[in-house]
Amino acid sequence: MSSLNKKISGIGFEYRIAAAYLILGGIWIIFSDRILHFFIKDSDTLTDFQTYKGWFYVIITAILFFFFLRKHLLHLRKTEKELAQHKDNLLELVEEKTKDLNEAVKKLSLINEELQQKNDLINKQNIELKETLQQLKDTQIQLFHAEKMASLGIMTAGIAHEINNPLNYILGGVTGLEHYLDDEKKDQQKIDFFIESIKTGVDRVSTIVSGLNQLSRINDNYDEKCTIHEILDNCLSIINHQLKGRIEVIKKYSEEELITLGNVGQLHQVFTNILVNAVQAIEDEGKISINTIHKNKNIIIEITDTGCGIAPENLSKITDPFFTTKDPGKGTGLGLSIAYNLMQAHHGKIRFQSEPEKGTTVTLELPIKSEADVEAKDTLR
Amino acid sequence: MSKPKILYVDDENINLLLFKANLQNRYDVLTAISVEDALEKIGSNPDIRIVFSDMRMPGMNGIEFFRKVRPLLPEVHFYILTGFDISHEIKQALEEGLIREYIKKPFHYSRINAEIEASIKVS
Repeated sequence: MSSLNKKISGIGFEYRIAAAYLILGGIWIIFSDRILHFFIKDSDTLTDFQTYKGWFYVIITAILFFFFLRKHLLHLRKTEKELAQHKDNLLELVEEKTKDLNEAVKKLSLINEELQQKNDLINKQNIELKETLQQLKDTQIQLFHAEKMASLGIMTAGIAHEINNPLNYILGGVTGLEHYLDDEKKDQQKIDFFIESIKTGVDRVSTIVSGLNQLSRINDNYDEKCTIHEILDNCLSIINHQLKGRIEVIKKYSEEELITLGNVGQLHQVFTNILVNAVQAIEDEGKISINTIHKNKNIIIEITDTGCGIAPENLSKITDPFFTTKDPGKGTGLGLSIAYNLMQAHHGKIRFQSEPEKGTTVTLELPIKSEADVEAKDTLR
Repeated sequence: MSKPKILYVDDENINLLLFKANLQNRYDVLTAISVEDALEKIGSNPDIRIVFSDMRMPGMNGIEFFRKVRPLLPEVHFYILTGFDISHEIKQALEEGLIREYIKKPFHYSRINAEIEASIKVS
């Protein structure tokens, strides 16, 4: 039953009403005529009644149509009104949503702009960082050079003193000679002394200057003949003014001459840095021992001081760049870092042993490289 | 009139010998290789007029040495002769009047002569 209802309601309203009208109209025509024929035999009266029946049918159907159409139209109008309202609402909603969307778009574009700006900033910072990195690299190279200059600077005051003293011999000797040459009676002993003074002065100045030259020599050649004892003595003469009267230097050099191939300037720098540290570690008076031995195919150089030593917690940091426990202006914190790097460049090793308040021993191990080795390597190539 | 007595303290022997050789004609030059030596010479020579001293010496520097001997030699003129640049310590000693002058090595003997002459004139 319900399925039939569904089927009927599934058919459109216009079909249903047309069908119902057709059926009812048909039934009315058939049955009303029969009933009229049954009751009325007179043909004129029948015609009149048939006219009334026609009118009746028209009125009834008109009323029915009116109600049907009204009901249906009311429903339609209501729907139409609702639709219109919905449409309005929709429009409003669309407007509102559009407004929201516009705002959101505006916000997004703002955010986008900000992001773009941030992106630009990041790009700019990235470029700046790259530049800074390059600057840092340049600065590092400069610092390595500056350290050399700084350690020279620390020594310069003393070096000036070292040079001024022998210059004083020269000036004193010259003054004396001038004086004696003017004199009638010449005292050969005095003249010899003045000349000797001048010679000593000149020798001392040349030693210092040649030491400085070797220290500041710049090249990357690792095939120079390095006479270890000579280089050590040179370094000692450069720092001599810091030792005088305060620090005793005990040299225990091996009897044989220790020679290897390397960079003379760099080895000067390594030894000077270590010796300056040893000197600065000794507060008042003390000793610096320098031992050299030839062991297997290596040159071992031990530099021991009786200074303040290095705290155990600092021992691992002393070759870090910029690590220093010295007062500002006394050290750059680069000396041992550079010594370490230069020893590495010579395929050598550097070791530190220290006991606070007792002193420090720095052991340098340099492989002996001879010209034969270099030639062998060259022929291998 | 006897020659004025001057003392020179320096830990470098050649400096002492040259100083003496160049100035002994005009002055009575005493030299000392250390502060101890200088104190000894001062003790036995109360008539020293002028003292020259090196700055850096083992144990005690020139200014410290002068401060130490100032009470013994209140009238004597002191001079610093040094290869170093002028330091704060030397500047202070100059301002205080502890030393009369600071002379830088290498020095010309004419300068030393002039200083001695001026110093003697004043005292």
